[in-house]
Amino acid sequence: MSNVETIPGKSITRSLGLVTGSTVRAKHLGKDIFAGLKNLVGGELKQYTDLLNESRNEALQRMMMQAHGMGANGIVNIRFATSSVAAGASELFCYGTAVVVE
Amino acid sequence: MTLSSIIVWVLFASLPLFPFVSWAMGRWYQSRLMNALSEKEKLEGGSLQNENHLSTASSTALMSAQASALLHVSICVGPSMGQIFFMWFKSLVGGRLRSYEVVLEYGRREVLFRLREQAKALGCTSIHNVRLETSVISFAQNQDSKRSSVELLAFATGLIH
Repeated sequence: MSNVETIPGKSITRSLGLVTGSTVRAKHLGKDIFAGLKNLVGGELKQYTDLLNESRNEALQRMMMQAHGMGANGIVNIRFATSSVAAGASELFCYGTAVVVE
Repeated sequence: MTLSSIIVWVLFASLPLFPFVSWAMGRWYQSRLMNALSEKEKLEGGSLQNENHLSTASSTALMSAQASALLHVSICVGPSMGQIFFMWFKSLVGGRLRSYEVVLEYGRREVLFRLREQAKALGCTSIHNVRLETSVISFAQNQDSKRSSVELLAFATGLIH
């Protein structure tokens, strides 16, 4: 997996098209209360950071599953996007091009 | 007057002071975070930063690499409630919102620092095609909420030479 046009050190033999993965995550109430306390001083909100990292990994997993299902063994040009879909929830989305490399 | 009623009155009287306290705490805490980060950056030295080892270009030196890894780090930052409160006053006249600048600068430096840490942990010698993204996370219940958080995401390809 890479976010450049090739997989360094390997050559691409076939391109299989777009693969995507996304998750929509809502906050956890308990964690949200702690994050609220953290908002007294600002700075990093560790609870949200962890939550988003976890969700992003899940989105990546789903993208990898999809690529695997297509018979690909690599994904290039990966991009991430985050958007707020509703109050209290946000979507983590990633997309890339599935390829066969040797 | 009983002790409990005195406590209640003290709490009630200190309520208008809350934005000031939160503002001061925010300033203090964020400058501490900033100093800690500067220390970490100094400790790290120039091991990955020097000679174009961190670049936004995608083509240079890719071919000579043996292996690569996808790196991604994100961080959620926000100013304190007091700072948000005073930002509202500041927005009457416009100008620089210093609290937000500090928070975002801290977040971006921290995220790049963590990206380098992650690269080092995976044994990468250089980082290419760095992309930085910013998005507003609305975990708060409504728009008028005194809570604000911004997610800063960095992703890149680490090369192992």
